[in-house]
Amino acid sequence: MDEPAIAFRRVTYRAQGRVLLGPLDLEVRGGETLVLLGRSGSGKTTALKLINRLLEESEGTVLVEGRPTREWDAITLRRHIGYVIQETGLFPHYTVEKNVALVPRLLGRPDAEIQPRVDEMLRLVDLNPQEFRSRYPHQLSSGQRQRVGVARALAGNPDILLMDEPFGALDPLSRMELQQEFLEIQKRVRKTTVLVTHDVGEALLLASRIALLEGGRLLGVYSQTQFLESSEATVAAYRAAWGGNLQHP
Amino acid sequence: MLEFLRVHRLEIATLTLEHLWLVALSMAIAVIAGVPAGILLTRKPRLREPVIGGANIIETIPSLALFGFLLPAPWLGARADRIAITALALYALLPIIRNTYVGITGVDSGVREAARGMGLTGRQMLWQVELPLSMSVILAGIRTATVWCIGIATIAAAIGAGGLGEFIFRGLAMVNDSLILAGAIPAAILALAADLGLGYLEARLRPPSA
Repeated sequence: MDEPAIAFRRVTYRAQGRVLLGPLDLEVRGGETLVLLGRSGSGKTTALKLINRLLEESEGTVLVEGRPTREWDAITLRRHIGYVIQETGLFPHYTVEKNVALVPRLLGRPDAEIQPRVDEMLRLVDLNPQEFRSRYPHQLSSGQRQRVGVARALAGNPDILLMDEPFGALDPLSRMELQQEFLEIQKRVRKTTVLVTHDVGEALLLASRIALLEGGRLLGVYSQTQFLESSEATVAAYRAAWGGNLQHP
Repeated sequence: MLEFLRVHRLEIATLTLEHLWLVALSMAIAVIAGVPAGILLTRKPRLREPVIGGANIIETIPSLALFGFLLPAPWLGARADRIAITALALYALLPIIRNTYVGITGVDSGVREAARGMGLTGRQMLWQVELPLSMSVILAGIRTATVWCIGIATIAAAIGAGGLGEFIFRGLAMVNDSLILAGAIPAAILALAADLGLGYLEARLRPPSA
């Protein structure tokens, strides 16, 4: 069997003596979209931040490409992983072009390579480079900002993409559009993606598998069908709370 | 008054330049010391209370008394302009340290988290994110300090450090309004010009809100 792209081995994370996550055993396969689903405080963002070492585990080991994250140089590890957050975190004093070019520049790519890469990434997220390249984040709609956030995360061509409620701040229509676009992009780039959400519909739409977290513990990992058919009480409760139809299986 | 200005124009120009020199040098020292100190406080929050507290205490010392305290200091006390520049720099420290600290810690947490998540080093974070985004707040501190210093520098004449205060003290001694105004008006114009100029720069450097 292939080595998982990311693995949590008996991982616990404590803050001020309180266990916020774990013990967690979880694997993310190469090229899949694993959705961490759970309510606020379930530990899903903590788990995500342990992957790129924005947090460090108290016990156990997190492995990225078979290597414990503690053995990676933190900066190298982070440049190797794309990161998208809800508020996008775009640098407000940088143009769209400079924002997207940031990671390739940090990676020391030559200028001649960066410009076409920026344009390619903007086209990938359905933004016209000529129109958007020189705009600043405050001149974009929230949906456009989120697209730029995704373009920036992919610009360094990372093997892994971490997304923390990436569509959470969008209006329902933009959210649906971006979810669809994400599916299209994912079909083309096949990145190993870990996506955090509390939205069951989003999880069912985007996930290859869903990892359900509750109170810092992993309740189970489900395929879409397993999640829809499970008789477990918590899964049933999530399904009932969602109550929607899966529009794009 | 106009006749007075015509007769004393050279002296007014000389003392204005002296005043500017005192303020410029003390502000340069305060910025060179204050901005790194403010940055240090963001990295070592435990130092915040003692450093800001110390700068606050300096602020409470009356300027004439501070000039007096520095008189016996070796090397410094040998020349009045050294004393004046040191005292003015000490006064300017608080707003610069405080605004640097507030500016950097006020950088949007999402921007900071994204920057760390993308692999910026501590130094890159400082130069590419924190300083550009806090520059207008830091400049607001420098602006406040500059206006203070222009005013306080008039008192430096009391210890013989020169500047526009010379006219004011001479005018007080001779009960001559023209002399007092010859010091006060250029000092007020300098303060207004610094306030407007630095205010303009501050607005230009204010980052657009996303």
